[in-house]
Amino acid sequence: MSYQLPVILFLIPFLTAVCMPMVGRKNRHCCRPMALAAVFAMCVMAVVNLWSVLVHGETRYAFGGWPVSTSLPSPPTGIEWVNDPLASVMLVAISFVASVCLIYGGPVLPQSLGRRVVLYYTLILLLISGLTGIVFAGDIFNVFVFLEVAALSAYALVGVSGGRALMAAFRYLILGTLGASFYLLGVVFFYAATGTLNMADLAQQMVDNPELMTSKAVIAGSTFMFIGLGIKMALFPLHGWLPGAYARAPDAISPILAALMTKVALYAWVRIMFWVLGARAEIGQVHLLTLLGALGAPAAVVGALLALSQQDVKRMFAYGGISHVGLILIGVSQGNQTGFAGGMFYMVNDAVTQAGLFFIAGAAIYQHGARTVEEWASLRGGSPWMTGALIILAMSMIGIPPTGGFFGKWYIMLGAIEAGNYLAVGAVVIATLLTMAYFQRLFVSIFRASQASSSWARVEMHISLRISVGVTSAAIIVLGLCSDPIIKYFRDIAASVGL
Amino acid sequence: MLEHIEAALQRPNFIAFVVLFLWGFFIMVAHPNLVKKLIGMYLLQTSVIFLLVTISAKAEAAAPILQGSDAVQSERHQIDPADYANPLPHVLTLTAIVVQVATLGVSLALVTAIYRQYGSLDEDQLLKRIE
Repeated sequence: MSYQLPVILFLIPFLTAVCMPMVGRKNRHCCRPMALAAVFAMCVMAVVNLWSVLVHGETRYAFGGWPVSTSLPSPPTGIEWVNDPLASVMLVAISFVASVCLIYGGPVLPQSLGRRVVLYYTLILLLISGLTGIVFAGDIFNVFVFLEVAALSAYALVGVSGGRALMAAFRYLILGTLGASFYLLGVVFFYAATGTLNMADLAQQMVDNPELMTSKAVIAGSTFMFIGLGIKMALFPLHGWLPGAYARAPDAISPILAALMTKVALYAWVRIMFWVLGARAEIGQVHLLTLLGALGAPAAVVGALLALSQQDVKRMFAYGGISHVGLILIGVSQGNQTGFAGGMFYMVNDAVTQAGLFFIAGAAIYQHGARTVEEWASLRGGSPWMTGALIILAMSMIGIPPTGGFFGKWYIMLGAIEAGNYLAVGAVVIATLLTMAYFQRLFVSIFRASQASSSWARVEMHISLRISVGVTSAAIIVLGLCSDPIIKYFRDIAASVGL
Repeated sequence: MLEHIEAALQRPNFIAFVVLFLWGFFIMVAHPNLVKKLIGMYLLQTSVIFLLVTISAKAEAAAPILQGSDAVQSERHQIDPADYANPLPHVLTLTAIVVQVATLGVSLALVTAIYRQYGSLDEDQLLKRIE
């Protein structure tokens, strides 16, 4: 039973998505309970899966019983899924965030959707199953296929309600497809050089033939893969599609995209970086991790700087997400356990935080019609839930204890100091200060004295908005308070890949 | 320098790939018409698939199917894998084509929706109308 868990986890959202149009054609109101049941079941199974990995160790699922990397050195011919500590913990995060996003999604869905609400739930479940596939895939081509499954659902979801979002969705589609093509090109180069697509087999070949690492095909392949995934993870300066897509997407959809899409692309790169190329990989004479760290630092600073200059709140949060992708990349590229653990912890924390921020931004539009920083003044009197949650989320984004964001940044900085990389430390500090500055703008607008609070009607928040906002804030505090065991867990993963 | 050019000329498929890829990329980035952008995108995706097919081409290779007497031979290990084409790149190609078709479907649907809403396919005009 525990051996089948990865496939069960994938099939829950996937089969529900397939059944959704059939059931929803007659009874439209069944869709939401069905989708919620699916993601809750997924949550339970993800926790069971994590427990099973903790107890029994990692398993490798062989599709159709074909030999996979467990049969090395005889070549693996089958498609393989890897259910290891990193994948299982990512999956808990994904299913948790997805279920909170679906709870939130109900009331803020655009009324204009009508019958298409069935398709909304279908697409969102397909998106979740695509993300599950990326997390488990032990085969670089499989990652490509699932990236596209997730991305195609995301394009459709961004454009689902029409209007100005259509153009943003189209731009997202063009750039996302470009990224996927680059990734596929990288896969082709890897295949041409090694004749295999299995991650474990590739890694073994890299160890067996050290000259492979210096061959042009592998260097070109890994560069193309990184560019492709860089577009998908919105790494500055390849972030062009993200702010428009997230800001214009319907409010019910931007939280799940902001929380999961970029993080899972980053996760895919971490997989390839540490599980295929190896932590000591070099391109030319340059250490690959040094190169990544150098790309992460400007992303962290420029993302935060651009966030500071935004008027639209959703756009501001979207740029905040770009800045945080840079921070995570700084963390994982320090080449030591502390930095890796900090980066991965920050990734999980950021998934929850981003979801929470977009919940509040969406709720502000839904309840007060407030889109820009100035209009957010109306949050003051009306919504203690929203302002309370915003304070906790802002603490996590800036990095104030006891939230998860503080511990993530703390370990990223410790890792950078341990590596003697003071430029990265500086970048984290500057990004933190800039993050504080743009949240300051929001809070000044909300709590400014000249705004008489009595003039704003107190609005009762919809119960599912309250649940989702409350749960994410609580989760961030819990992540912060339980950071010790989680960091230790990620350190063990880092040790297992030779950091 | 000369040997680099010589090496490149020995692999015309690589040159064709680079030309197709950059051509598609250029159309995708530079052309204001949305449908033509999609044509560029399609060209770019196809060029990657083309590269995958050409690097796996093998002269005078048989289809990798074991039939009757071949199966008996394979049990005696008398079959040389070098005589057969590798089926895996073709499988990958098929999957990549399916992904490409799905992408094209979604993108055409988006373009149709944009045209219905704004009555234009020209990017500059569209941006003006959206403002």
